[in-house]
Parts: sequence; structure tokens; C-alpha cells
Amino acid sequence: MLQPSLELYGESFEKVDALLDDLLAKSHAQYVLIVDLKGFVIAHNKALWAPKPPSLDSLATLIASNYSANLAIAKLFGETGFKEMIQQGDRVGMYVEELDETALLVTLFDTTAALGRVKMFTKKAVTEIQTILSENKGEAPTMNFDENWHNSTRALIDGLFGPSK
Amino acid sequence: MSTINFSAREINFKIVYYGCGMSGKTTNLKKIYESIPGTAKGELVSLATEDERTLFFDFLPLDLGQVNGFKTRFHLYTVPGQVFYNSSRKLILRGVDGIVFVADSAPNRLRANAESLRNLRDNLTEYGLSMDEIPYVVQVNKRDLPDALPSDMIKKVLDPSGKTQFFDAVAAKYIGVTEPLKAVSQLVLEHLAQKA
Repeated sequence: MLQPSLELYGESFEKVDALLDDLLAKSHAQYVLIVDLKGFVIAHNKALWAPKPPSLDSLATLIASNYSANLAIAKLFGETGFKEMIQQGDRVGMYVEELDETALLVTLFDTTAALGRVKMFTKKAVTEIQTILSENKGEAPTMNFDENWHNSTRALIDGLFGPSK
Repeated sequence: MSTINFSAREINFKIVYYGCGMSGKTTNLKKIYESIPGTAKGELVSLATEDERTLFFDFLPLDLGQVNGFKTRFHLYTVPGQVFYNSSRKLILRGVDGIVFVADSAPNRLRANAESLRNLRDNLTEYGLSMDEIPYVVQVNKRDLPDALPSDMIKKVLDPSGKTQFFDAVAAKYIGVTEPLKAVSQLVLEHLAQKA
């Protein structure tokens, strides 16, 4: 089944993108990401002053897996989930909030940002993103899987793994 | 289910290497990582125990390239094979698009192969999926073992109906590693086009 990640495209994507910028500015965080629970990055923004982030693919996969593992632990105790997911190191912290059943909003911050501030603005951003998603009335884009698409993918697979024997 | 990110213009697929403990799933990913050119691969992430047994998963992202303006990417995962890590295996199967089942050719692992396949079916059922809906191939690994079971025998046990593609391999020597990945990648792309 063809599945768009959240309903993020067109105008709704632009609004969410602006919200992520706003979250970065107000929380003083370094990076914000929307990650789906399969481990894919849906959207990400970085503060202008922040250094280059580590591999976003690795980050998204580890965050989604960590979240799923925590959820499984909560369920062992009859809980529906844990209320918060916070990790704090000496220099870097991470705060994760559920956006919906399929995606997470992740805020990464350093020692210049206060955890309370990060939590407050991340929670606010979650509510605002949920509103944007619920109001999204635009038609989902479609993709054309024509002969050209089939030929191109075959050629790329041969290029990556070597031609068929 | 493939994830299409229209705003980032990306199509992402999740391919999972499944199989019993020590069948060679992590070895496959390591060999793929070594053989793929730097620009087409990301970091290889391994969550393993001190003795290098997979604890949670291994992860390797691969970039296929641009198709019709969309960046097409495969995320490869392994699961921990040991029986008692089933919770982790179940989590990794979330959103799976294609499966490479890695079977062990050793005579004393035939039963473990069959049990692992049954476990895969059970775990997919929990996500409302069946083996018939998911692109799936089998790699029969460790063909260089002196007492390796005949491939046909393993085939009869794992796929009595004969519908699945099988590939002989010696993953540690990089033999038969890319073929099953290539086959499942093609199946996954065809599957997406059919379902869209």
C-alpha cells in the first residue's frame, strides 16, 4: 500500500516547517525532527548556529526503536505508554513527544537550552501540528509508476548491486 | 508499507533480514556495507552484545538514486535470531516492506530454520500481515559447511509450495549476498507499483 508519511505535503508541510523553525528559536534547541515509528525522517530543521547533526537516518531509526521498546516495557506493566521520553547527557539532551500513533516530534538541545523551556515549546508545537494535520483538506499527491519508472528502477538496482547474471 | 515523503520527495523501503540465531544475518549486512560505494550507503549501526550477538538490530541505509524526481532508499535491518529476543524481532518488523530469510545449512539447524520461519509468520500476523502479502526471498547460507544439507532439502522444508526464490550463499566470503537483496528490492518496487 502506498502510504504518505503523515499528511504532510503542500501547504500543511510549509506550515509545519515554519512551526519547527519557531520551535527551534523559542526553545533554543539545536535540532528538531519529525520521525515516523518505522524509523524514517519525515521533516527536520536545524538551528543556524548548530553544528552539522549526526546521521539523521541512524538518529531516526534509534529514536523510533527506543520509543517502541519503551512502549513495550510500559505495556508489560499494564500501562498504555510512558508519559515522557527524556534523555540527558553532559552536553546534549533529547525530548520526545508523540505526534500521533505513527510519528514523534523530537527536540535535541545542548546545555544552552533549559529542559523546562524545551518541554513547554515542544508540547505547544505538538498541539499546533496536530491542528494543522486535522485541518489538512488538500488532495494527497499521486505517483505515476509508468514504464519509465520501472526501467529507471531496474537500471538503478543493476547499478547498485551489479547487473543480473 | 512503503513510506512516500512527498515534501522531501523520498520513497523509503524497509527490508528486514530474518532467520535463526547465527544464520549470518549480520554478516550479510557487514558484507553489503563493505561492497557498496561510499556515496550510496549510510552508517552501519549495530546494537550488539559484548560477544557480537545482535541484541536489538543492525541497520544500514542504502540510496538507490533518483527515480522520477524521488530519492529512492532502502533501509536494511537485521533482527536478533536468538529465540528469547522475540519482543525485539516484533518491533523491527513494524512497517516492513520486504524480507530476506537467512537459512542455515547446518544439519542441526534445520529445525531452528523452520521454527524461525514460523515465528516470522506469527509476528507478521500480529501486524495484520501474511507472508503472501510481503515480498520475500530465502538465502540458504553457509553452503561451504562440509556437512551442509542439500539445498533442495532445506527448500522443501521452508517452501513446500515452491513459490519462493532461493539463493545459495556463503555470506562470510561474500558469495550470494547481493543476489537475494537485489531480488527482494525488485519485488518490493514491483509490489509498490501494483498496490499504488
